[in-house]
Amino acid sequence: MSTPAILVHDLKKSYGSKPAVDGVNLEIPRGSFFGFLGPNGAGKSTTIRMLTGLIPADSGSIEILGMTLPAQELEIKKRIGLVPDESLLFDRLTGAEYLEFVGRMYGLDRATAMARGRDLLDLFQLENNRKIIGEYSKGMRKRVAMAASLIHHPELFLMDEPFEGVDAVGARLMKDILNDQVAHGATIFLTTHVLEVVERLCDHVAIIDRGKIVTSGTLDELRAGGESLEDAFVRVVGAAQMTERLGWL
Amino acid sequence: MIRALLRAQLLSMHFGGRGSIPSGIASAIWYALWTVAAIGAWYWTSHAGPELLGYNMPIGLLLACFYWQLVPILSASMGSSLDMRKLLAYPIPHGKLFVVDVLLRLTTGLEMLLLITGVAAGLIRNPANGWPAAPRILAAFVIFALCNLLCSSGLRSILERLLARRRVREFMAVVLVCIWMVPRLLFESGMSLKALGPAAPAIRAFGLPWTAAAHVALNESTLPSLLALAAWTALAGWFGRSQFERGLRYDPIAAQATPLSAKATGTSLADRLFQLPSMFWRDPLAAIVEKELRTLARTPRFRMVFVMGFTFGLMMWLPMVLGRHGERHGLMAHYFLTVVCAYALFLLGQVSYWNVFGFDRSAVSLYFAVPQPVSAILVGKNVAALVFIYLEVTILTGITLALRMLQGWSQWAEAVIVIGVCSLYLLAIGNIASVHYPRPMFAERVSQGGSASRFQGMVFIFYPLALLPVVLAYLARYAFNSEPAFWLVLALAAAIGILVYNLALESAVKTSRFRREQLIQELSQGEGPVISG
Repeated sequence: MSTPAILVHDLKKSYGSKPAVDGVNLEIPRGSFFGFLGPNGAGKSTTIRMLTGLIPADSGSIEILGMTLPAQELEIKKRIGLVPDESLLFDRLTGAEYLEFVGRMYGLDRATAMARGRDLLDLFQLENNRKIIGEYSKGMRKRVAMAASLIHHPELFLMDEPFEGVDAVGARLMKDILNDQVAHGATIFLTTHVLEVVERLCDHVAIIDRGKIVTSGTLDELRAGGESLEDAFVRVVGAAQMTERLGWL
Repeated sequence: MIRALLRAQLLSMHFGGRGSIPSGIASAIWYALWTVAAIGAWYWTSHAGPELLGYNMPIGLLLACFYWQLVPILSASMGSSLDMRKLLAYPIPHGKLFVVDVLLRLTTGLEMLLLITGVAAGLIRNPANGWPAAPRILAAFVIFALCNLLCSSGLRSILERLLARRRVREFMAVVLVCIWMVPRLLFESGMSLKALGPAAPAIRAFGLPWTAAAHVALNESTLPSLLALAAWTALAGWFGRSQFERGLRYDPIAAQATPLSAKATGTSLADRLFQLPSMFWRDPLAAIVEKELRTLARTPRFRMVFVMGFTFGLMMWLPMVLGRHGERHGLMAHYFLTVVCAYALFLLGQVSYWNVFGFDRSAVSLYFAVPQPVSAILVGKNVAALVFIYLEVTILTGITLALRMLQGWSQWAEAVIVIGVCSLYLLAIGNIASVHYPRPMFAERVSQGGSASRFQGMVFIFYPLALLPVVLAYLARYAFNSEPAFWLVLALAAAIGILVYNLALESAVKTSRFRREQLIQELSQGEGPVISG
């Protein structure tokens, strides 16, 4: 039996005295499309940043594709594709130059990186011109970031809000690409606030609230009892109707 | 409303962070020196006779005016101003925004305020004046300061817009150099106001803000001078306000947009030049150097400083060599190339080696996400900085050759090697500074300087330190009157420099490992409603 794509045990991270991630355990099988949900500030981005090695964990263990972090950090990085919430884009490069640069940083030779970059620009409907990334719209930036995560053909994708700011056409395109990747054996770890995306794409889901996993399982397990995912989410994180408190509004 | 603005800025300034203590010490030393100068001015003006004051006061105020208006431009650091992109969304009257903007101009002229205060206090204490003259003296200097503030506000606004335009900004840098050079060259060539004929006495009397202010303060032709000063201030107010209003309507993004015609058709000459590093290095180093060269060459702020690097140095030292007092074959001429290259090296620091991740901002995360060692990233960035440093040296060599000031190729070789040795030390310190005191830099904000940043104070300490080994080589040359002694010490400095560079690189890599999170966080920070520049 193959090792899980991601195996996390008792992961903790605090900022000052405030725990951002508080004892998270995850086991994500290879080839799955995993949705990681939670309200704002629940610890989603912190978890994903620890999984990519961008920030160190205070305690706990992380295994990615059968390798341990941080001991095998460079090997792990070669095999993951990352779309974080904040920009990893260099604003003064064109889309083609950026993709070529990222490809070369992942060990591709210039010719291969350029060729793959051109293909990805075509696929994501981004014009190959002299326009620098700094002049791109938010949706275009997300498309370039997604393209960059694909250029070295990774086995595992870690994506933090990849559809934020992307128009319907772009979102559809990105979903198709991700589905295709999963069909070919890749694993996707995705955080998003758009529950419709999770319902359409993900087979496994976990909900994090105040740094702790409050529920996890398959999508059907979460929606047991005929609830919609939104209702289940609101019930689990304990959000109530509060607008009546603002009498002046 | 104004208080809310200033409070929002205060809260977003992150006081007490890393580097604030050394930066605070450097600032304290700087302003202590100006306070001493102000006390000196107070002492001198309280004892000087009317004739001496009458001659020197306009010159002093002219220098103050020059400092206030031009030094922020020359040092590529234009102080704080309002970030209109954030504030225009709120219903704040333009008049109030203008008042705050004008008050923020004080950040570029605190030194002059100190000096003027010293002069005013001295004049009041002068036996020729006394306390009854205090209102007149204070009025003269307050109006003079106001005139400078308003002028400075307009100047900053007009420069911000001009410098943000594609291709115009570099041209503007050269124009500014010419503006600054003309009076200096006229002075060096012996020209004076007499050349203006009959108008000269009137101009000398009260035709200019500094002469008018001086005459009011010294009670000479008080009424016409006061009227002239008020007229200049009103003109400065109109200039400042009109430029401020134009700044509000200005769209910097549209001004910097790539033309639609700029299609990627084949490999351009620039592309081929950017790909040159691949001839010398393998990936990842070649990829990083190439990326840095492309990025910096397209960064408005970097391009501006690059142009300033080879023009402002010439502006400062060329008149000394070419002017009436200059000696084409003297000591200054001999070291001219080395000095202007060292100045260019200093200027490039703030946009390259002092803060290597500055322009990457939050994208710095990518370096930690890709499977490459941080040492390769730092070395790549250093190599790219060296390429630009030696490009400056090449341009300056060309100019020196054109002006027939190059005294043999040994002089050129000396400049090239000295700059190389200095660079080793500066890059070493820069790498450490970049991981300990990173700060985000905004590529499109051409006026954003280093002075407002926390690390800038330390630059004043580290720059002389980095030059020390080379200074020792020059001392050896003079102490022993021997060329071999100079080259021997320089070779020793280079060998130690290589060692220091490697140690610093190792230390920076280690620091980046355990400060990774803070590094990314600090570089991802935005700014408050007031932008520091």
